[in-house]
Formats: sequence, C-alpha cells, structure tokens
Amino acid sequence: MGQSTSLIRTTKLQRTYQMGKNTVQALAGVDLEIERGTFVALVGPSGSGKSTLLNVIGGLDRPSSGEVWVSDLELGQAPDKKLVSFRRDRVGFIFQSFNLLPTNQAWENVALPLMLAGRSRSERRQRAESLLEQVGLGDRADHRPAELSGGQQQRVAIARALANDPVLILADEPTGNLDSRTGRDVLLLLQRLVREQNVTLLMVTHDMNAASYADRIVHMRDGKIEQIETIERTAEAVA
Amino acid sequence: MTFGDILRTAWSNLTRRKVRTSLTSLGVTVGIFTIVVMLSLGVGVQRVIQQQFDAIGLENVVVQPRDAERNPYTRYVRPEREVVISPAKIAEWQQMDDIVSVTPIVDVNESISKRLVLPGDAAATIAVGVDPGIGINNPFETPPTALAGVLRPTKDGEIVISQRALRRLGLTAEVNNLIGQKVQLIMETPRGESQSFDYTLVGVSSVDNNLVALTPNDSIALKAWWFNEPDLLDKEGYDYALIRAKDLNVARQLTTQLRAERFRVQSVETVLELASKIFLVINIMLGSVGGLALFVATIGIMNTMIMAIYERTREIGTLKAIGASRGNIRTLFMTEAGLIGLFGGIVGLLGGWGVGRILNRVALAYLEREEVPIRGDFFYIPPWLIGLAIGFGLVVGIVAGLYPAARAARLDPIKALRHE
Repeated sequence: MGQSTSLIRTTKLQRTYQMGKNTVQALAGVDLEIERGTFVALVGPSGSGKSTLLNVIGGLDRPSSGEVWVSDLELGQAPDKKLVSFRRDRVGFIFQSFNLLPTNQAWENVALPLMLAGRSRSERRQRAESLLEQVGLGDRADHRPAELSGGQQQRVAIARALANDPVLILADEPTGNLDSRTGRDVLLLLQRLVREQNVTLLMVTHDMNAASYADRIVHMRDGKIEQIETIERTAEAVA
Repeated sequence: MTFGDILRTAWSNLTRRKVRTSLTSLGVTVGIFTIVVMLSLGVGVQRVIQQQFDAIGLENVVVQPRDAERNPYTRYVRPEREVVISPAKIAEWQQMDDIVSVTPIVDVNESISKRLVLPGDAAATIAVGVDPGIGINNPFETPPTALAGVLRPTKDGEIVISQRALRRLGLTAEVNNLIGQKVQLIMETPRGESQSFDYTLVGVSSVDNNLVALTPNDSIALKAWWFNEPDLLDKEGYDYALIRAKDLNVARQLTTQLRAERFRVQSVETVLELASKIFLVINIMLGSVGGLALFVATIGIMNTMIMAIYERTREIGTLKAIGASRGNIRTLFMTEAGLIGLFGGIVGLLGGWGVGRILNRVALAYLEREEVPIRGDFFYIPPWLIGLAIGFGLVVGIVAGLYPAARAARLDPIKALRHE
C-alpha cells in the first residue's frame, strides 16, 4: 500500500448481520478516504450504518468483506491481539454517555488507557493532569464522575481519548447527552484539538448543527456513502 | 496492566458494594471457620495426648514373659512360661548399650489374701494389695507422690504404705513421724496356714487405695510362700520388666529384638501409632464438614460475580474499547473473586482461632474442676493450618471466579457498550 496523506482508507467495505432469519446489510460497499488531521462528521438517519462504520474503523467490529486500512494496518485481517493493541495505543474513543468508571477519580479515568498499557502510576498522574488542564478541568483531577456535570464528564472522556496520543479519535454522538450550550463547548474543544494536535477525528452524529463544526461531512444512507461535503471556512470563521 | 493496578482496581470495585462483598465472603468465612475449628481441635487433642505419652516416655518398653500353649487339662493350673524374665536376663539387659535402666516388676495377685498388721498395743489389721509399680502413670490421674520418705522401697525388708491404709490402721499421726515404724504382712491360705513377714516403713504414698509397695524380691517371697514353690524366681522369673532406653530409636530396636526372643513387648509408641490413625480419620471427617460449607461458598461467589458482570457490562465494554485485552478483563474479575475468598479465609481463620481460645479455656476449667491433671492447648493451630486456611480461601475464590471471568472476557464490546 502506497502511503499517501490519507490515514483511513476503506475499499468495498461490507458488513452484514444476521438478525434472526433476516440478513441486515449495515455497510453495503463503503469506499472512503480520510486524510490525516481532518475533522470528519458521519451523518445519516438511524440504521444508515454510520455507527457500524465507526466501529469497524475503530477495530471493535470486523468487516464481512472489503478492506479497511488505518495508516499501515489492515484491520479486517489483523489478529485479535493486534486489534487490542491498536485500540489501546493508537485510537481514542468518545462515547455518547461518557462511560467513565464511577469509582475512579477524574485523573484515573483519563489515565485508564495508560494503565492498560502498563505505565507507572506517577507517569499516569502527570500525563492525566496536563490533559485535564488542556480540556479546562485542571482543578477537578480528584473528583469522581458523579461530582461532575455532564459537560465536564464529557471533557474528562475527551482527555481520556487523548491520553495515549492517538492518531485517530472516534466519537459516537459526543454531544447527544448534552444541552446545546455545553454541546457547543465540547464541539469547539474537539475542533481546537484537531487543529492544534493534528489528530484525525471521526464523529458520528445525526445533528446537522454538530456536523457543521467538521471539515468534511460524510452523508450516509442504507449502508452507503451518499455524498461528501467539504466545508470551506474563511479565516475569520476559524478564528 | 501491572499486578498492582489489577489489585487496586479489583479492590475499588469490591468496596463499591461493601455489603454484598462482605456477605459473599461470609460464606467462605463460615467454611474456613469450620475447618479451622475442627482441624485445630483434632490437631490440639492429638498433641495433648502426644504430650501425655511423651511424659510417660516413648523410650519405655514393657516386657512380659510369654505363657506356653495351654492344653485343656491344665486350664486350672498356672501356665508354664515359654520364656522367663530371670534375674540373669535383667542383668543381661542392664549390660546392653544405650539402656538407661531395667526395673523388674512382680505382680502379687489380688486374689492372694494378705493383711497388714500393726504389732504392739494398738494392734489393728486391714486387707491390702501390693502395688506392682509399673512405673508408667495413668495420664488421667494425678501421679502419686511421696508424702513422707520415699515412693518405692529400695532395699529388701522395706515397705511403702499409702496414707489411706495408714489411716485405716489407726495411724493418724504426722506422716513423717511414722517412718521407721515396724509393720507385718500376714498371708493366709484358705486351708488356714499363715505366715508373717516383717517390714520397716520407709515411705508414705498419696495413692488413694489400700496399697503397699515392696521390693521385687520381697514380692517374690510372698508369692513363693503362697504357691509353696521356693524356687519360684528361677522357674517363673519376674512378671514384667520395664526397660528404659536411651531414646526412641533404641526402644524400637529393642522391641524388635525382644519380640524375636519370644517376649511379649509393648511400647508406648505402638499405642500412639494406633491413636494417630484414629485421629487422621476424625480429622478428615471434621474437615469434610468445612469442605461442604466451602462448596456452598463457591456457588455464592460465582453468583455474586455473575451479578457484578451483568451490572458492569457497559464498563467492561468501555474497557475493551479503550484497549483492555481479554486477559486483562479475566485477570481483573478473577482477582476480585480471589480477594473475596482471601478475605473470607482470613476472617474465618481469625474467628476460628478466637473461638478455639474461648473453648480451650472452657475445657481447661472443666478439667480443673474434675481434677484431671491434663493441661495443654486443645485447639492448636499449627503453621500449616494457617497456610491451609488462607490458601483454601484464595483458591475457592479463584475457582469460583473462573467461569464468570471467562464470561466477562468473552463479552462483545459493541453489545456491551449498548447494554443499559
């Protein structure tokens, strides 16, 4: 595979599920290329396959056929162990309902991927604190999730997704559980991270307003890409 | 994940449901408690008995002559002896290496009528028995002591009388003043023949019976007169010999050797070996009761872990999504189950120890009231039992965690993340 600037490349990607006697085609041949350092929104009605595409690209699900490359790794054929280390070392996940561990303090939640990677506790603490600082929660390191607001919890989750210095961040409806104001803050934070850290962000949403913060919007329907929209921003809009 | 991280995470997961965790490990506690109490009782009692036997002296060997085969026509005649403990034999044994002492013992039969007589003005008479003085004390009785003088006569013509017999004779003075008193023992056959033997009192014993103690030679003289056989010692020898060997090994060798010479030999060790076998069976039975409790506890832990996995499905999904391997998840849940078992084991051990202490006090108080001179630890916890209790608790937890942990590890992260 020749290495261009594209980080993600899928070819003829298919994913079918067996639901009782029916075969459901969640992905019906997706060809997609995403360049490094872009903020991409995946939009479409429910059942359009956007979450399945996100899971396949994140190494949580395997395609039924076709290829999915993330940088130099083909995820469809990679052994389970490779997928585990891929998720642990190179991907960050952000979920709709935050999914923080309730018994862990904010910094411990942020440092979870580092713990799985076997880093020392002092290193984890240091890294987690600087990440919490970045998302504006430097003073909340020792709080438990229950002591934080929804927006704060999602920002902890974003810090967690950044902990392993990923090449790719996958977000599934990150603003779905937030009110519009906090949602906007979170989207601006994500936008800023993409720009400042040259990280690639793939976000699933059904909210067109949320999608408008992305550089590109991929419209999906019935397991296929319908249309790809590139958002041109003027210098002022970016600022 | 390092082992420290696993432990810390498992601990914080367990402490979030403190009541449930405690109740689950209570099952293990009951099982381990039962095992500890039962086994420490088994071990403790065995040890106390061993100590009693040690006090008797395992190096002691009791030798008896063997009676010759009887035929139906000699049933009412005293049996011939196949081998005889003669004075020469005693001397031979005394010459052997590693032998501390050899004591000949004569058993003056109870049915031989003998009366103790106080000569002089205050003449009085009581029937007495002759204490053969085996030299091995009954562990369930307080050993006799010499209230005055010595406990056993050392020279022919000397006698030791129990305090009780002296009282019955009317000698109620301070026992020390009675030493040197002359007494007679009168023997009478059913045909009316009688013979008197003179002795000097050299000691008063605390034996709670009408007993006198004589030297082996004096005892033989009594029997020789009774059976009208002046050469009784040459013909029949002594009735027992107590051989005290230097140590247990010598005692064992001696036992084998004397048995080969056709003597009847009893060593305390033989009895102890039998006791050990009985105690092994008892211990296994008692331990099984606790084992059953542990089996129930295993099911309890399994149930708790399956519930915990159900509750934490989303969490497991999250951990898998952000890079936890199946091994990580499995180790985490096995550790949680193992910790439940471990705590149950430790608490059960402490509880078993505490209850053992209390029961031991009760037992000792009872023995003291009954004047049984046995002291010791009836609930003894040897180091191996500590290891067994804690190790068993841990193993029970880990075994109970195997299936739930495997189930958690197998969870599909996508389904787990969607779980409500």
